[in-house]
Amino acid sequence: MGTLKIERVGGLAGFGLPGSKVQSSGEQSISALSAADQASVEALFQNPPPQEEQQRDTFRYRITRSVKGKKQTVEVPESAVPIALKACVSDKLIPPD
Amino acid sequence: MCLTTCHIVPESVLRRLAKDRSLSAEQRKNFEYTIKVDAEFRKLRKQTCKLTRVASLIAAPITAAAVPTKPAITVFDFNHRETLPGVRIPEPANSSDETARRVFAETTSLTEFYLKVFGRNSVDGAGMTLISSIHYGVNYNNAFWNGSQMAYGDGDGSIFVDFSKGNDVIGHELTHGVTQYSIQLNYTNEAGGLNESLSDCFGSMFRQWEAKQDVDQADWVIGKDIMGPTALQMGYSCLRDMANPAAKHCLAPQPTRYSQYKPGMDPHMSSGIPNLAFYTIAKVVGGNSWEKVGQIWYKSMTGFGPTPNMKMKTFANRTRAVAVQLYPSDTAIAGAVNAGWKKVGL
Repeated sequence: MGTLKIERVGGLAGFGLPGSKVQSSGEQSISALSAADQASVEALFQNPPPQEEQQRDTFRYRITRSVKGKKQTVEVPESAVPIALKACVSDKLIPPD
Repeated sequence: MCLTTCHIVPESVLRRLAKDRSLSAEQRKNFEYTIKVDAEFRKLRKQTCKLTRVASLIAAPITAAAVPTKPAITVFDFNHRETLPGVRIPEPANSSDETARRVFAETTSLTEFYLKVFGRNSVDGAGMTLISSIHYGVNYNNAFWNGSQMAYGDGDGSIFVDFSKGNDVIGHELTHGVTQYSIQLNYTNEAGGLNESLSDCFGSMFRQWEAKQDVDQADWVIGKDIMGPTALQMGYSCLRDMANPAAKHCLAPQPTRYSQYKPGMDPHMSSGIPNLAFYTIAKVVGGNSWEKVGQIWYKSMTGFGPTPNMKMKTFANRTRAVAVQLYPSDTAIAGAVNAGWKKVGL
């Protein structure tokens, strides 16, 4: 079923923005997700929630999957992401240039 | 699908999932439940927007007619969960939890700042009860304003410490509420950058006001007190630096000129442009930032009704006009405002 690549971006600290020194990412095997979480992920790709609903300083999640060799990416608000996906990212610092 | 938080999945998708025979009966039942809960949350969000619009119309007459009083300050404990608002802490001022005591004290101080310096009673200008929730999630490296309240994570203890340790962070989050109830800026494109910048400007002014610092004594950085030991060890001493948005000691360096702005840019990046303008103007005007330049920014934010899609140039021109209006006999202030915006290309 493949693997989801998950990036957590934005927030008060500006995670993962161009030039940002703090990043948050992880991977999640789709088959390891519960059927309900798999369905939720599918729903996010089929019909991502509008950006206007984002609350101030909350994170957004950039989720990428491969379908028939093609990469698909959606960027969705934190509130729309299943907890299992949120739990698989870890934060790290990029050393200064 | 977790049912303890509000997931923004379209209703049509939820209805399809609720009828999906490949899911178990319990899962389908959960989606049915989610549809009902989600519908209520959508109503609540719509109602909040409606309330914001109505409040913005009536807040001014109310505050003009009555002596401002302090809003009630409440603190809730998430207990490391993510279900808003958490459990209410009965007496946060006397709590055994240091974070609860700090959030209560700083939020109280912040309401005094807005009341004494700008004559504003709470985020809506009409004494709205302020809700803060602490200990959000597990090792959560963030703080936010969700449209109704503030929430603070504890940090992971490495990159960040408790987000409530930053008085500028508390000022930043509460100011998102003030913006929501006044100029009502969107959170995308140029309006988003202005929205973030207003939170940084008022968060920094609150920090300076508490420390009784003039513009030369102020540090002008955002998030200095929430940086964790690993970040500090690597030379990162703040999230953002209003005096030098592109500085290497910032965790998230920002553009310094409007020519670097690109449509769709994250508001936490584009805010560097108006942040630098504010800093530059405040330094030239001198004294306490909140006394003159702060008044210009406050009136520009709250004195003209909602402008959700405002461009940076429009806001810059508004502050130019307000500077002349508020300080007609002091042309140096208008000159400083003009020069500050020109420095960033606006």
